[in-house]
Amino acid sequence: MQDLLNAATLGSIYLLFALGMALVWGTIGILNFAHGATFMFSAFVGHLVSRETELPFLGVIGVAVVTGAVISTLTQLLAFQPILKRSKSQHHAEMRILIGGIGVAAIPLALAQRETRSSPFGFTSSYKAEVFEILGLRLTTTSAVIIVAGLAMGIGLTLWLRRSRQGLALRAIGVDAETSSGMGVNRTALALGTMAVAGALAGLAGALLTFHLGAIAPETGDQLIIKAFAVIVLGGLGSMLGTVIGAYVLASAETFVLYMNWGTWVDAVSFGLIFLILLARPQGLLGRKEVRRT
Amino acid sequence: MGSGALKRKALLAAVAMTTVLGTAACGSGDGGGSDGDGGIADTIKIAQVQDQTGAVAYAGLGASEGAELAIDEIEEQGFLGDGVKIDLEKFDTAGEIERASSEMSKAMGDRGISAILGPVSTQQAATVAPLVGRQKVPTVFTQAGGAGVVINDYTFRATPPMESYYESVMDYLEEKGAKKISILYNATFPTFALLGEDDVPAMAKDRGMEVVQSLPVQMTTQDFTGQAQQVAREGSDALVMLLIAPQSVTALGQLEDAGYDGQVVATSVQAAGNIKAAGDSADGLVYPVPFSVAMEGESSQAFTEAFKKKFDKEPNPYAADGYDAMWWIARAIKASGDSSREGIRKGLEQVAEEGFTGAMGDLTFDGNDARIDGVLVQWNGGKESLATAG
Repeated sequence: MQDLLNAATLGSIYLLFALGMALVWGTIGILNFAHGATFMFSAFVGHLVSRETELPFLGVIGVAVVTGAVISTLTQLLAFQPILKRSKSQHHAEMRILIGGIGVAAIPLALAQRETRSSPFGFTSSYKAEVFEILGLRLTTTSAVIIVAGLAMGIGLTLWLRRSRQGLALRAIGVDAETSSGMGVNRTALALGTMAVAGALAGLAGALLTFHLGAIAPETGDQLIIKAFAVIVLGGLGSMLGTVIGAYVLASAETFVLYMNWGTWVDAVSFGLIFLILLARPQGLLGRKEVRRT
Repeated sequence: MGSGALKRKALLAAVAMTTVLGTAACGSGDGGGSDGDGGIADTIKIAQVQDQTGAVAYAGLGASEGAELAIDEIEEQGFLGDGVKIDLEKFDTAGEIERASSEMSKAMGDRGISAILGPVSTQQAATVAPLVGRQKVPTVFTQAGGAGVVINDYTFRATPPMESYYESVMDYLEEKGAKKISILYNATFPTFALLGEDDVPAMAKDRGMEVVQSLPVQMTTQDFTGQAQQVAREGSDALVMLLIAPQSVTALGQLEDAGYDGQVVATSVQAAGNIKAAGDSADGLVYPVPFSVAMEGESSQAFTEAFKKKFDKEPNPYAADGYDAMWWIARAIKASGDSSREGIRKGLEQVAEEGFTGAMGDLTFDGNDARIDGVLVQWNGGKESLATAG
């Protein structure tokens, strides 16, 4: 049972990180490789601010969420939007956006590495995690917040995309960007809003993960981006519920490997499992089957 | 004399003049990186091919500061002769093996460079070590404690490998009465894999201790909740924690959350304030270091004072590495009286035979590889102090 609880915490960490990336990739078609840097830099700004003035838990979260939203919006405005404007179609822009994202990510990474010398950094906060035991299971307050936040955000975003008008418009862009524009969907404004929400989610994940781990390094975001990529592909691109399930499947596989004390096989076993699932369902667990017209 | 003959004479004269000037430049002037032509150049160019950015930038940047302090002292003392300057040229390996290889090639290709301070990570160092032997450029590595680094006449290492001074940790645990130990180690980090799988179990066996648990993790492992709970459940007397800097911070917090109350011992990676972010969870942590500001030896204290004066902060073990490596090179040039690549190689061997006293204390050498006793320090309230088992 304790291991299930650990898997739930780890899955929620992956989920919080992957949600923003999945939202942007699955709707406006941007595979944002700067998401990891946004995540890290939001936490880094939280670190800088809390170093000057001790902040409560929600204060740090607020700083990181706002920073994430700002970075992501600026990335869309200054990098991705100009790339899209100069490209003949979304398809032509994809590779340039991918490279652009990697380029954008290098800036906050270099700044944080320079300031910290790549040493780990955390927050100076009045919040101290407490450990409580229920039925012999140990859980910290931070883990509990992460599990609740991960599930709430995952389910909330899924419902919002399915039931709201903006969600419908975003899904329409995901299916056919040109036609949805013709139907009156303001693609530019929605893309900007989506990137801001994704950045805010990255900031939330950055702050919560830093509280949970005690500290992160400037390179932490790079490691998580591979996991998020796997989670989204496993769940099925375009399906937020798939992302939720993908995150917990990956975390469960990793926790099982750790439980068996095959520590060095974590990535090999969990990614091998994903590979096997994708052999059976190339579109991912809940992804749409792609229709190719010839 | 015809015009053709005149032209030939003028050409010969020009070639002769160029040869003379070229020889003069090699013998006494700039660079002095050519092979075995004797004498100490006015300006000696040393390359530092180490991480200035990336995951282990703290090691390369620390070494830079130590090397810069050493250069100041060497020049101020006129150690290599009046007006002799050392020009430190930095090449950033940015935490990448391929980059380390290309930057080393660049540095070795510059004939003006006489010696190199080589990469700090074992993977990078082991990759470039054969190149160093082929290109015949004396290279002094700092850190890079794994195997495959000191492998030919041109490779030297100023930082003793961790396993050579890890015995002190096991002695400490023995004195504390530890009988059962757990090991949590990063199995994808060569130095830690060697320690975790071979050296620590062997040292424990020699002291009558039992390794009751061995938990390998990867470089990408970030959450240690599961491992911390396993360690707490086992309840061993001590945990040998062999993890990189951010992993250690997380593991210590999660060990505390899991209720583990045994002694935790770690490695020099936790020095340089890398464990500070763990806050109170790191209190009581013990680790061996080749250098600490808590060291009481005269040369170590003098280094600490000089460093504080120059940089307005305390030095870390990486700075001590860079400082001792640069002084080793300077002593080598003086010993051989030759700042060429071949002269420095010979000098480094000469100095290694005798040993010298530096920031890390008395350095002796096993071939081209440094050895020191090291000290055991304990982290408490954000500061290091010398650890005692009592």
